[in-house]
Amino acid sequence: MTLEQVPKGSRVKVVKRTSGQRFAASMDGMGIHVGDELVVVGSAPFSGPILVEVPASGIQVALGRGMAKKLQVEPVSA
Amino acid sequence: MKSGDNGGERLPVIALAGQPNCGKSTLFNALAGFKADTGNFPGTTVSYTASEVVADGRHARIIDLPGTYSISPHDAAELVTRNYLLSGKADVLVAVVDASVLARSIELTLQLLEMGVPMVLALNMVDEAERKGIVVDVDALQERLGIPVVPTVAIRGKGVVRVVSRALAMVDEPSHGKVPIYDRDVEETVKGLLDRMPAGLSDAVGAPARFVALRLLEGDHVIEDQARRVDSDFLDFALAERKRLAQLHDWPEETTLSSHRHAVAMDLFEEVARVVPRKRRSFRDRLDSVVMHPVLGLVVAAAAFASLFLAAFLVGDWLAGMIGGPFERLSQVMAHLAADSILWAVARGFVEGVAGGAGIVLPYLLPLLLMMSIYEDVGYLPRAAYMVDGLLHRIGLHGKSIIPLILGYGCNVPAIMGTRILETPRDRVLTSLLVPFIPCSARTVVILALVAALLGPWYALGVYVLNILVTALVGRALSSVVKGTQAGLLMDVPPYRTPPVRSVLKKVWFRTYEFLVAAWPILIVASVVMGVLEYVGINDWVNAFLSPLTVGVLGLPQAVGVTLFFGLLRKELSLILLFQALGTTDVASVMTPAQILGFTLFVTFYIPCVATIATMVREVGWRWAGVSAALNTAVAIVAATLVRFLW
Repeated sequence: MTLEQVPKGSRVKVVKRTSGQRFAASMDGMGIHVGDELVVVGSAPFSGPILVEVPASGIQVALGRGMAKKLQVEPVSA
Repeated sequence: MKSGDNGGERLPVIALAGQPNCGKSTLFNALAGFKADTGNFPGTTVSYTASEVVADGRHARIIDLPGTYSISPHDAAELVTRNYLLSGKADVLVAVVDASVLARSIELTLQLLEMGVPMVLALNMVDEAERKGIVVDVDALQERLGIPVVPTVAIRGKGVVRVVSRALAMVDEPSHGKVPIYDRDVEETVKGLLDRMPAGLSDAVGAPARFVALRLLEGDHVIEDQARRVDSDFLDFALAERKRLAQLHDWPEETTLSSHRHAVAMDLFEEVARVVPRKRRSFRDRLDSVVMHPVLGLVVAAAAFASLFLAAFLVGDWLAGMIGGPFERLSQVMAHLAADSILWAVARGFVEGVAGGAGIVLPYLLPLLLMMSIYEDVGYLPRAAYMVDGLLHRIGLHGKSIIPLILGYGCNVPAIMGTRILETPRDRVLTSLLVPFIPCSARTVVILALVAALLGPWYALGVYVLNILVTALVGRALSSVVKGTQAGLLMDVPPYRTPPVRSVLKKVWFRTYEFLVAAWPILIVASVVMGVLEYVGINDWVNAFLSPLTVGVLGLPQAVGVTLFFGLLRKELSLILLFQALGTTDVASVMTPAQILGFTLFVTFYIPCVATIATMVREVGWRWAGVSAALNTAVAIVAATLVRFLW
């Protein structure tokens, strides 16, 4: 599934970044890599962005829905 | 006479580079004097800020390069930063790193090291890192990177001067850091490329051969083009090698190298930093559970914006009275002395231009800038952008566009400059086109004095609501016309911070300075031009010329023509001009309520003042400035005509 479909509060692991190099570079820059675990902390109203936290680094990033669709993730049992 | 010391000799150039939000600009502001010059990089809409600094009694020029997440040539800012560093114009590079997110910052640092520019690392926000439980061993980091590392807390000015002295020492004795060593497969491939690399390529790029080889493995199309021009056989070889390396690991070709770099960065991070998990997040989490709540967060955002306007109006009104009073008396005295000469007209125009900026624009702009800077430094703005992103996407904008749009209520000039925070040219153009629709303080004066005072406060509120609706509609229409990619939102949400007063004030000063140098002089010149035109007596001619529009279409008295024409030069004078044109301050006695509303709407929507147009030309070019002027006029005519016929 993609990050966009993940319900709030879930913990997931990034499996794949399904877009070009540009997207990969900006994800690297934000500190989100393949293999990283993410927690979906919230989502904004009006189909706004999704807020994720990278627990390993404590970084919080807001991703627009279009961006979130490009991240393939799988659930992680807590 | 210190500044004359350099006697024509070239000052050493220190370039600051780093990720957005790493405190790079804070470091710059802490170092820069009270004068910073901003400009665009040639041929781009990407801007930089530069200033002269003094450290250890020596002068240097620091350049604040645009914040970049990587040095891949994917967006304009990244390419500009890279080209600048490759051009050899910088004597030393200061990489600014947010220590609280050190793991990811190391990746950019490694890429910068590979470019071969002498480098110093400013390890910023060490206090915040420690609060987060990240303790960095500065000596170990220094040892691993082979460059000086200076811990800083830029927002409190800590360590900033040491950064400059280490940078200047680096200018005297340039040395290169230790470039990262990747795993064996990568290193062997790099070696293979280096062996066959044509002689001129490294010079053509302006970077070490190793950097060129690594960029080719990373799939950098700009370097590929350069390689093709020098030796296309070599490029084919490099591309084949890239494919082979990717297959070796069964990874996608375009991310093979970045994955390796990530691995190196993580190793390095674990070596130099100790992470003590701390359960001190509760404050942020609790606050964010309200501020970023899908419903409560919107209420908070509405309250935050309301407080912004309230501060601007209340404090602005008070300030305007304080500053405007003396100027008004001065111009009354001058009016009494009125000698009939063109020189006198010029002098009066000049005084009135100064007065308009000081008495009408600045009083409203200052409180707005102060509130914005506080919200920004506390860390609220990214959260506000997060909350409104969904809404703004519907009109083709971006969460971050909210910041320039709000600034527009103070003065459109800094607002258009503020669109620089947006990443793609499309987002910048679109937001710049919408800013002039936002009623700045000069237009607010008109709305308050005519509609609020004569028709009632609810009408005034209605004008603002209508304005927002029209702006949204225009945005929606434009977003399907303006081409280019709309960047999806990808934004750091930083922790809350308590900014020191000094740093907030300095930020307000820098933004005010932008108004002072970019808008005010134009206002003054326009005012002088207006004084002369009035002296020459073109009022009747202008009124007659504009009467098809003013009388024919809008149904207004013919005398208001001159107000609209001169309002272009000095929007904040629209009201006073109207009084003069009608020969009375009792507007209600000569204009019907429909005319008052129509006139106000027209003034609110039509072409912004010359200062705004000039800024637009500089920021997005002649073409878009022309589109903007035409668009505003069209919308103003439609809005005012509708009032005439629907009232």
